[in-house]
Amino acid sequence: MDKYQQKAIRMMEWLMLIAAILLVIIGKLTGDTFFLRLATEALIFGGLALSVDLLLGIVGLLSLGQALYFGFGAYLSAVILRDWIASFWVCIVIVTFASAILGWITSYIALRSKGVYFALISFGLAQVFAKSIYNTRSLGASDGMVGVPIIRIPLPFVTLNLGDAVTFFVITFMFMGSIYFALKYFLYTPLGRIWAGVRSNDSRLPYLGYNTAAPKRIAFILAAIVAGVSGALYPMLRGFVSPELMYFSVSGNAVITVVLGGVGTLIGPLFGSSLLMILKSVIGTLTLHHHIVIGLIFVVLVIFAPKGIVGILSTKLKNRGVR
Amino acid sequence: MLENLQYIFAPQIINGLSIGVAVILMALGLTIIFGLLDVINMSHGEFYAAGAFLSVSLMSIGISFWWTLILVPLLLIPFGILMQELLIKKVFHHKDRHILTLLLTFGVATILEDLYKIIWGANTAKPATPITGASEVLGVMFPNYRLFLMVFGVALIFAVWLLIYKTAIGSIVRAATLDRDMSASLGIPVNKVYALTFAFGVALAALSGVLLAPIYSVFPTMGKDFILMAFAVVIVGGLGSIKGAVIAGILLTQLQSLSSLYISPVWSDPIVFAVMVLVLMFKPSGLYAGMKNG
Repeated sequence: MDKYQQKAIRMMEWLMLIAAILLVIIGKLTGDTFFLRLATEALIFGGLALSVDLLLGIVGLLSLGQALYFGFGAYLSAVILRDWIASFWVCIVIVTFASAILGWITSYIALRSKGVYFALISFGLAQVFAKSIYNTRSLGASDGMVGVPIIRIPLPFVTLNLGDAVTFFVITFMFMGSIYFALKYFLYTPLGRIWAGVRSNDSRLPYLGYNTAAPKRIAFILAAIVAGVSGALYPMLRGFVSPELMYFSVSGNAVITVVLGGVGTLIGPLFGSSLLMILKSVIGTLTLHHHIVIGLIFVVLVIFAPKGIVGILSTKLKNRGVR
Repeated sequence: MLENLQYIFAPQIINGLSIGVAVILMALGLTIIFGLLDVINMSHGEFYAAGAFLSVSLMSIGISFWWTLILVPLLLIPFGILMQELLIKKVFHHKDRHILTLLLTFGVATILEDLYKIIWGANTAKPATPITGASEVLGVMFPNYRLFLMVFGVALIFAVWLLIYKTAIGSIVRAATLDRDMSASLGIPVNKVYALTFAFGVALAALSGVLLAPIYSVFPTMGKDFILMAFAVVIVGGLGSIKGAVIAGILLTQLQSLSSLYISPVWSDPIVFAVMVLVLMFKPSGLYAGMKNG
């Protein structure tokens, strides 16, 4: 990661913060919550993209089935909140541990292979899981689950009501922000260095005396947790879950998001997710067929700017620096 | 016992075989494209759908089904060549080639699927069966078209195998797979071989679309459902292997149709994918990986 890329990332972090503050101010003033809800959803799917980037950009494993953990988190959260206890913290803690366990178990299946085979096995795992949920009547089968209550978060002085769009947005923003900075911190630890080594040359690292299996497993489990807790926020926002959350289109969209934002930058996925949401709603108002436009943009990006927005921005900065 | 075999198992096995033949045709295209180009073609299902749609459209202007069987794959060959030359070649020499080509074809799939909705609408169409009637096999009645599908499919699979392993064209393709630079220095036009092979895979997908259109319905996302099965077959059989695709294709479709005798058919998909995951766990490169194994 060179100087310019770091600068580009810093710029995008500020941009995200400013955009969020503006959204909150506009939301407070106008009382129009539509865009806030949209932005919240973008951030939630940004969390899923973040977990894809942790695997793809940091460790070099392309997951085509990350929606498995996202959907798992969403379903678990819906079940806990609706049928057991409507507590934000209980839900998040349980989902964190459960996703970690699921990630740990599935890592023994997925991490047996690498490269294309890893991509395919993660895809297959998600398929098995999604179809099984689809067939399970007690989890709502193809209809999913509706009626997730609105959550209140009691804090020492105030009680936050997640039914309020502004509050929910701020909570989600802070939530994703802390995940982002936590992951970023990991990159500068020895573990993060080994991840970088695994990404650039997986087979040489053992010769230098490093164990690569454990770091990969940790990354895989972390990615499962990030996707899981992001998913846990989904039913709180929308009040329902459906098996579509685990389908390939969700995993695929997350990969598109990562490539759009910039692979291996962590801010890229969050930024890309917001941008994709804007694109979808803008193009969606113009034409019913926004997939064509998104697909075209994606194809052009992969060919001409495989490093995404961060890549474009850092090239711009570099050229300006030269002058 | 014997009656059980005749009236319960036999129909299920033969039904499974007719689906299996179609799945194998799809999987052949996928596996050839991967074996030669190292590209996982995520838009393969959309080419299958293109085959079905074009066949329906051509039939609606009065061309007979048998002509579409030849015309549709030919129509899609230029498209395959263009896709290889304009898109895949651009990222082919990149370090992350696997991932980039996978993403690229995924993007193309997204575009195509939406395009079909614009051109043909979101409704389902069902072309008339070109061969009507039924015949008795082992004392059970079977639609003639399914029997035709099996015979034709088996012949086609065999022809593809012959083409790749027993002809000069096939050995050029295999040589280019094995060592690109060496083949180029021996005078093989490697880029042309790549483009034509990709187009060949696409044409095979379109052909299975034409063949299956009279059995299943035709709709824009039809490729999505079917491609998953084809992927499972290719993965279990081993990427790049024709023999593997055939064996895995028969195994998985038999598993699917026989398991539905005992448990609800909705569970057959999870079972197929669970088997795929299991195979990958113990033989990560599938049963027979690579083109050299036949």
